[in-house]
Amino acid sequence: MARKGTEDRGLLKLFERAGANAERAAALISRLLVSIPDSEGIAAQIVEAEQEGDRITHAILRRLDAPGKPLRDAREFHTLASAVDDIVDHIEEAADAIGRYRIEGPMEQANELGRLLAEAGSEVAGVLGDLRRGNDTASRIVELHRLENEGDRVSREGLGALFAGGIDPMVVIRWKDVYESLEAAVDACEGVAHALETLAFRG
Amino acid sequence: MSATTSAPSSPNLDALPRHSVGNVRIALVDRDSGFLTVLRRRSSTLGWEQRELTSIPSIDALVEMRLHLLIVDIALLGPQWAEAIEYTRVNLPELGLVICTGTSSVGQRVRGLRAGADDWLTKPCHPEELIARGEAVLRRRRPARALVREPVLAGEIAVRPDQFQAFCSGESMDLTRREFELLHLLSDNEGQVIERDEIYQRVWGYQMAHGDRSVDVFVRKLRHKLAQVSPTWTYIHTHFGVGYRFAPRIGKPEDDLKKSGKSEKGAAKQAARASAAK
Repeated sequence: MARKGTEDRGLLKLFERAGANAERAAALISRLLVSIPDSEGIAAQIVEAEQEGDRITHAILRRLDAPGKPLRDAREFHTLASAVDDIVDHIEEAADAIGRYRIEGPMEQANELGRLLAEAGSEVAGVLGDLRRGNDTASRIVELHRLENEGDRVSREGLGALFAGGIDPMVVIRWKDVYESLEAAVDACEGVAHALETLAFRG
Repeated sequence: MSATTSAPSSPNLDALPRHSVGNVRIALVDRDSGFLTVLRRRSSTLGWEQRELTSIPSIDALVEMRLHLLIVDIALLGPQWAEAIEYTRVNLPELGLVICTGTSSVGQRVRGLRAGADDWLTKPCHPEELIARGEAVLRRRRPARALVREPVLAGEIAVRPDQFQAFCSGESMDLTRREFELLHLLSDNEGQVIERDEIYQRVWGYQMAHGDRSVDVFVRKLRHKLAQVSPTWTYIHTHFGVGYRFAPRIGKPEDDLKKSGKSEKGAAKQAARASAAK
């Protein structure tokens, strides 16, 4: 499913940067999850990645909305930009929840979800790099769908363990929030895949 | 005591081991002067404070007395005795409550225990038995840890439950509350392997969620602090897949010895061979 890049090479380079930033954020949250409670330094780096993500997204949107001849597939690129931005936003939410709730120790299922998210982040960076180079993106899109399914399964296991009898309700509340943010981040990686599929279909 | 209760060839009750319950304040609702005198002497020997009352005072008065144990002869309470017991129990759930009264029916004893009494003795009874039953009630009513105020000495450290802190050579280890409770649990059960689930339940007070690694995190923090103050000793040993055991020893933890393929016996054999070869 090869798709030639648009005339706007600058736009595709911005998306590649956004992908690299999402990959970095996903790798950081995976490290943070296994490092709890000694994770403050990593949380600060995630905040930086979220701010960088915002800057890149704004640059993309300004480019898409620039006056003059409208870019072909502008709406699909908007959707793609939002999806990549959402990945990093949800990662930052998870990191923030862990710090705010002063979670005391790691949770195995969350660690696994973090690893899946790191893999998905790499695929997102790869597919956006492929987009810029005009390479085939099909296999990475398939992989992103697979990782999202895996993420759903692990998230369900983690949430299920929280609702076993006798667990501290505060532990349930804290980790439920974290799992939901992590799952939303993995879903956003699949959102990138959906946006690219639409672009490819229209191309 | 009005009737004699000679215990034939009774052992020397004073010599029997007693589990210390610390300083105790008791009150007796009773009019038997002989009984009260004998108990007063025993209480004095034990260092207990004893008050003598003719009826159950108001809840406010009981609270002010800061009693640990109330011993009641229900004959002084009239026909509403069970209601009085129940009322006291509901309003002072922490108070030990023992009924010590004359002959009674099974129905009365069942009623009294269900109303909230912790125990029931029938007069005439040996004062030492009443004291021992009172101590048993106090042990059950107090949290177990509150009874153990003596420091636990292990290796180079002293675990001080009265201060919620551990010390090495008199210097505080600056343990957090959670770290202290973990150390206290482990050191109180020296030599025993305690499963992670049980550690979590006893320190955190809840069931551990499957996958929660908080116990491992806190053991790691504790080990780090122990190693800082007592570097030549190992205190906590890992039993992989099970939990942890507190056993102070000089040198590496036993799990590290096993990982490296060495053991104390192996090391000793090697040393013996090396010596023979010289």
